[in-house]
Amino acid sequence: MFGGLREKLRAARNRLNSSIRAAETAEPQAPSPAPLPVPENGAAAASAPPTFVDKVRVLITERELIVSGKDVADALSELEMTLLESDVALPATDAIIASVESNLVGKHRKIGESVDALVEHALKSALLDVLGQGFDLKEYILTHERPVKILFTGVNGTGKTTTVAKIGSYLKKEGFSVVIGAGDTYRAGAIEQIGVHAERIGIRIIQHKEGADPSAVLFDAVQYAGSHKIDVVLADTAGRFHNKANLMSQLEKIKRVMKPDLVVYVDEAVAGNDAVTRAAEFDKTVGADAVVLTKADMDSRGGAAISIAHTIGKPLMFLGVGQSYDDIVPFEPEKVVDELLGGA
Amino acid sequence: MDQRELMTLQNYLQEYGQQAEIFVQQMQMLENGRLEAHAAIESLEDMLTSEDGTVLLQIGGGASVRAKVVEPEKVLIAIGAEVVVERTNKDAIEFLKERIMEMEASQKKVAETLDRLRAQMNEINKRIESGYQQAMASGQDLD
Repeated sequence: MFGGLREKLRAARNRLNSSIRAAETAEPQAPSPAPLPVPENGAAAASAPPTFVDKVRVLITERELIVSGKDVADALSELEMTLLESDVALPATDAIIASVESNLVGKHRKIGESVDALVEHALKSALLDVLGQGFDLKEYILTHERPVKILFTGVNGTGKTTTVAKIGSYLKKEGFSVVIGAGDTYRAGAIEQIGVHAERIGIRIIQHKEGADPSAVLFDAVQYAGSHKIDVVLADTAGRFHNKANLMSQLEKIKRVMKPDLVVYVDEAVAGNDAVTRAAEFDKTVGADAVVLTKADMDSRGGAAISIAHTIGKPLMFLGVGQSYDDIVPFEPEKVVDELLGGA
Repeated sequence: MDQRELMTLQNYLQEYGQQAEIFVQQMQMLENGRLEAHAAIESLEDMLTSEDGTVLLQIGGGASVRAKVVEPEKVLIAIGAEVVVERTNKDAIEFLKERIMEMEASQKKVAETLDRLRAQMNEINKRIESGYQQAMASGQDLD
């Protein structure tokens, strides 16, 4: 996952390291001490009064270096290009660059301190800032009145129905009772598709005939959940583009009728910046409380995953990472950042 | 195997088929992108070697005009995130070559997934066929 971005970040990190090191070596150094015989007994040396060598060592290791903007300007510009080339949206890229810069420039660093640690910290904190907090669905369900009603929206062909099934399976394994509302009554075979998923994972499904009013199906699903004390309603809907006014007003109607607690926007990570733009449009028209990105395992750039939370201001909830029901992982920013910066 | 099981298997098959179709479309998109990048590299290289900087500029509808490139050394290129930057001809070619490598890596991944899906579909097909044969042998009505 995001292998290409990981490689590029590694190169950008090395570049920052070498820029800072090069700036340091260019600075005037303290005079080097004359070599003195090293005492054989360390304990005795520790208790002895400070020698000239000790004094110089303190001078070198405790002297502070200050990284200037000029030292890292080129490396930051390269980092900016790297992020943009990885399809990280411009506002998120700007935020990352600004954060890295503020974490490095003017920083007092002791010579003994590792440059790599300083750069890693700056990159890590910048990425964590833009990735946001993520969204803990389990925690949300536990702290809200049940049934928790979750409406899934998004464009066609991004894996919405499969995502509903995967989240259903995930929640079932976590001990919650789930019902799925087959609200995609438009696409041929969609009801059968979600029906097959529901049967495989052992979840009750509420469905009407193809072409039925999706609001009615999802209303029934909510009623069923209420009367059977079900914890979560997962409402599938037909894929639609945000510029189709009639389909968007249908989604408005669904919202009015089933009154979802959460509206989750689903798109594919491989769509990159397009996914970010579409999510912003959906958020504007029908609202979105969280985002799920599918096919993250196929995405080498990671642009959408990095920028979506920062750009639309809504957290990422899950990443779809494969074909089977278990291939969905809650989005944990710390883990993603560790993976991106790992092995550098 | 009863009729219900057979129907479930048919549904599985249909669903896998739909998934496979999406991956085939993705493969096609990647292939188109790859070919387009190759064509761009060829054009950029030719621009530098052409004596008077004249190129054929496609203007849509199959029509082309001869055009003179004022600055063949400078290329505006979309690098991602809807950002276009100016690069030298050489750097733009390098960038496109990297993109081609990325697309080829993605194609490989999608192809692997498609192979897995097709293997699963074959497996289901075999089970359906054997189910039909069993039903035929026992004289069950499959309508």
